[in-house]
Amino acid sequence: MRMLLVEDNDELAETILDRLRSEGHSVDREDNGEEANELLRFSSFDIVLLDINLPGRSGYDVLRSMRSRGDATPVIVLTARSEIDDRVVGLDAGADDYMVKPFDFRELSARCRVLARRRAGSSSNVFTAGSFSFDRAAKQAHVDGLQLELRAREVQLLEIMLDNLGRMLTKEEVADKLYTFEETPSLNAVEQLVTRLRRKLEGAPLVIKTARGLGYMAYVSDDD
Amino acid sequence: MSATTTEVRRSHSLKRRLLASMAAAFLLLLLLISVLLWNYSRAAANRTYDLLLAGAALSVLERVSYNSAGPTVDLPQSAMDILALAADDRVAYRVFSPNYGELTGTPDLPVPDSLQPSIDPVFYDARLDEGFRFVFQGRQITSSRGREWVFVQIGQTLNARTAQRDALFLYGMIGLGAVSLIGLGFVWLAIRTSLAPLRAIADTLMARTSRDLSPIEGDPPLEVSDLFRAINSFIAQLVRSRNLTESFIADVAHQTRTSLSALQGQLSLAADAKEFDRMRDRLGKAEKQAERTVHLTNQLLANAMVIHRSEDAQLEPMDLRKLVRDTLAELLRERRLRQVSISFDDAGLPEGEAFIRGDAISIREALRNLIDNAVRHGGPENTILIEIDADEHVVRLTVSDAGPGIARADLVRATERFTSISSKTAGSGLGLAIVRSVAEGHGARLQLGSSVLGGLRATIVFPRLLAISLACLLLSLPANPASARELGIHAATDPGAMQPLVDAFEAQSPGWTVTYREYQTVDLYREVLDADPETRADVIISSAMDLQVELVNRGLARTLRLPSAILPPDWARWRSQLFGFTWEPAAIIYDKREFDEKDLPTSHRDLASFIRENEAKLRGEIGGYDLRRSGIGYLFATQDTIQSVQAQRLTEVLTRANAQSFCCTSDMLDAIAAGKLSMALNVIGSYAMKRDPGPGQENIGVHFLEDYNLVMSRTAWVPKTAPEPEMAERFVAFLLSAEGQSIINLKTPLIPLLLPREQPLGLEDVRPAGNASFLPIRLGPGLLTFLDQIKSDEFLRSWASSMGDQDYGP
Repeated sequence: MRMLLVEDNDELAETILDRLRSEGHSVDREDNGEEANELLRFSSFDIVLLDINLPGRSGYDVLRSMRSRGDATPVIVLTARSEIDDRVVGLDAGADDYMVKPFDFRELSARCRVLARRRAGSSSNVFTAGSFSFDRAAKQAHVDGLQLELRAREVQLLEIMLDNLGRMLTKEEVADKLYTFEETPSLNAVEQLVTRLRRKLEGAPLVIKTARGLGYMAYVSDDD
Repeated sequence: MSATTTEVRRSHSLKRRLLASMAAAFLLLLLLISVLLWNYSRAAANRTYDLLLAGAALSVLERVSYNSAGPTVDLPQSAMDILALAADDRVAYRVFSPNYGELTGTPDLPVPDSLQPSIDPVFYDARLDEGFRFVFQGRQITSSRGREWVFVQIGQTLNARTAQRDALFLYGMIGLGAVSLIGLGFVWLAIRTSLAPLRAIADTLMARTSRDLSPIEGDPPLEVSDLFRAINSFIAQLVRSRNLTESFIADVAHQTRTSLSALQGQLSLAADAKEFDRMRDRLGKAEKQAERTVHLTNQLLANAMVIHRSEDAQLEPMDLRKLVRDTLAELLRERRLRQVSISFDDAGLPEGEAFIRGDAISIREALRNLIDNAVRHGGPENTILIEIDADEHVVRLTVSDAGPGIARADLVRATERFTSISSKTAGSGLGLAIVRSVAEGHGARLQLGSSVLGGLRATIVFPRLLAISLACLLLSLPANPASARELGIHAATDPGAMQPLVDAFEAQSPGWTVTYREYQTVDLYREVLDADPETRADVIISSAMDLQVELVNRGLARTLRLPSAILPPDWARWRSQLFGFTWEPAAIIYDKREFDEKDLPTSHRDLASFIRENEAKLRGEIGGYDLRRSGIGYLFATQDTIQSVQAQRLTEVLTRANAQSFCCTSDMLDAIAAGKLSMALNVIGSYAMKRDPGPGQENIGVHFLEDYNLVMSRTAWVPKTAPEPEMAERFVAFLLSAEGQSIINLKTPLIPLLLPREQPLGLEDVRPAGNASFLPIRLGPGLLTFLDQIKSDEFLRSWASSMGDQDYGP
């Protein structure tokens, strides 16, 4: 993946760059908000890792400029402060995720992978994760080459979960996305649908996790 | 809560308390004295006003006489005048005889059973519709049957005497109060001096630096030594607390430095390692150590933040459920929680009802710590259950896990800092301490126990914030119905006179219409007494001052609170219930074609002579009001007899001149204009003065005498039974207001009451110039004299006969 790291602390930047490059990504680095903004105007990246406390422009400003230009590149905000204000401001400004320093690099990698997958899944027609693949156009899923037998609703659900990889969706949100205006959404039906899909996905690296009372989340288990 | 303000507050409250108890003692004394003073004032006031009653009774008894029909009484003007000295009190009187029954006055006034006939006055209290004080006195007269008792009973309401009693009492109390205050002043000085040693202690402490926590030295007076001891033990506590804090900082330093040294050690070993595998091994350990250090640092920072926030941050109303859900949704994105089965149960919570006062950031931190704890201790196949439930008073947040839990014995220690119950798990020892700090900062409790899942159950119990009922916010007051409301005015005045006032009032009172009913004075009087509920009036206006006083004397009127700026002079108001609003002199009107101004008489004495001398010219062409039908005519005539000894003579002279009687002013004015009448006496001058020019009007002359001219005032009052009392009060105020008076002046034939200097607009020429002097008729019980049945019958009989009507009967 092509990544941009915007971080003014050299030591930290160096360790992040090493890590990401060792995983096979090509990473550029800026240490200054103004220059990062300029770079983002003309180049495109798959993911941007954005520190908040930057010389030149603040990370929020860079983020807001991106979004107001219509640039939808996934952004992970890196912040040294864990208070709610920062988090809310960041997500409001358009960040996709945020991490608090000092963070676990494995966690960082995993989040990057999730974002990449999400994006890949929505921009191209085929989603791949290990032995699992899903063809959006053909509406077919394969595990280890074998096609899964999925009903239309189950395909719809699979699509929704892949679009929201790594994010928690409540039962109501799933129902909203699944049903149109005329149909009456039944939360029970959603529950049964998820159970059926999970059973069919058994053994696949794509896992749909249920947190009772909270909702559903899909993730790829080979990230561990 | 800083220490300095508490100190200052302490010294004030002691002084205040002492002062307060002294003040209380003074108050008690004052209370005792005030009781005595009250009794004295009451007795004194009673004595004073009883004298009035006695005087009035005497004057009535003096006029008791005997004629062929039995005992009778000619009520003297002085009786009512004496009573009128208590200007605002209502009056009731009765003259009766055991054998002949009621002679006059209000029959059956209350008499106490034990009363014996006596020629000395007896005083007692009784109630009619209000409290009254009565005098009862008798006199024996000689009749054809021997000696007869005649009794007089006079009663008066208590306004004047209560006013005097109150005034006496008030002035007495003021004096006492002043003395007490001075006494208190001395007390205050005494307290100040005795509290000086305390101030000395305060100064000593203030002078110290913050580091100086040595006990205070000194040799305090006995009363203060307890305080001394308390302060010293407090200082000792402070010392202990400071030591604790310092040891905490030392602990933190120790933990952090130890952690970092271990880390440094591992890394340097790794750097020195000769073999790759050993290096890798060391590095693995170092990484774990680094994780631990990072975790410890984060927890220390979180702990500091949480304590800081609990002292500083505002607790705001918030929905706990929403916060918990959002936090969990976010936490679950972490990799280490993927394998953990998490469930959230809010079934024990009614819809949307988990409001507490909280700081979201601290609660998030607490929840993260609880879940972190659960994950650490629980192992990979863990189950974590988060529950919210509530009852009337509390909201409970519970985190339960399926780990090993904490043994009963260890529960107390678990929330202490740097205490990790299990050394195997890489905790910082701060997690539960943080949670406890958060709970304390919210006024909440942290409860630890065992969960049904087998592990630890940690509950934070928050005090509940009752939701503001939307119903209260949506409560809307019913809108006032926009129906028109009516004000009923019953008046004995020409409608032409009142209409401009009514119009102006309606114009400034949107939503109101005025219903105006016109009466003759006596008819209006009777109608009020009949009190027909169908025709309840809001305002009664009449020119017959005596009849108005009579009605108000019966207690039928409402007390009005008018602003003092518009109150009429005291001769034109009574009891704050009856108010005059015009100024109308009695005048002599004459035909200018018949007489010249300079020939006219200048005094009442001269008037009788004048009529006599011009008898030929005036025969059949001199007139006045019909006293039977015109209340104002009767009023002027009777007031004349009080003022002037010439009244009798005037009557004779008028009889000889064959005087005519008329019902009303306009008839007389028309008759003069038409040449049918040459002169009219005691006519309401304002009508004549302000009459519009018309045929023959220029012939009407208005003449005033120099010795006196009676002035009457039209009066208004609001009955207690008025359907719209507030509006009625406003109407009366309007009549007296600058605007109302100016309308009276400019647009009606009446003359306004208030003096020109108070009225800017065009009133300068209104009052007649020259040598005329004006005598306003005074509103008060004095006007009741000539309403007495016997007296008025007598007066009217003699007037009627002078008009040639021998058969006049009551």
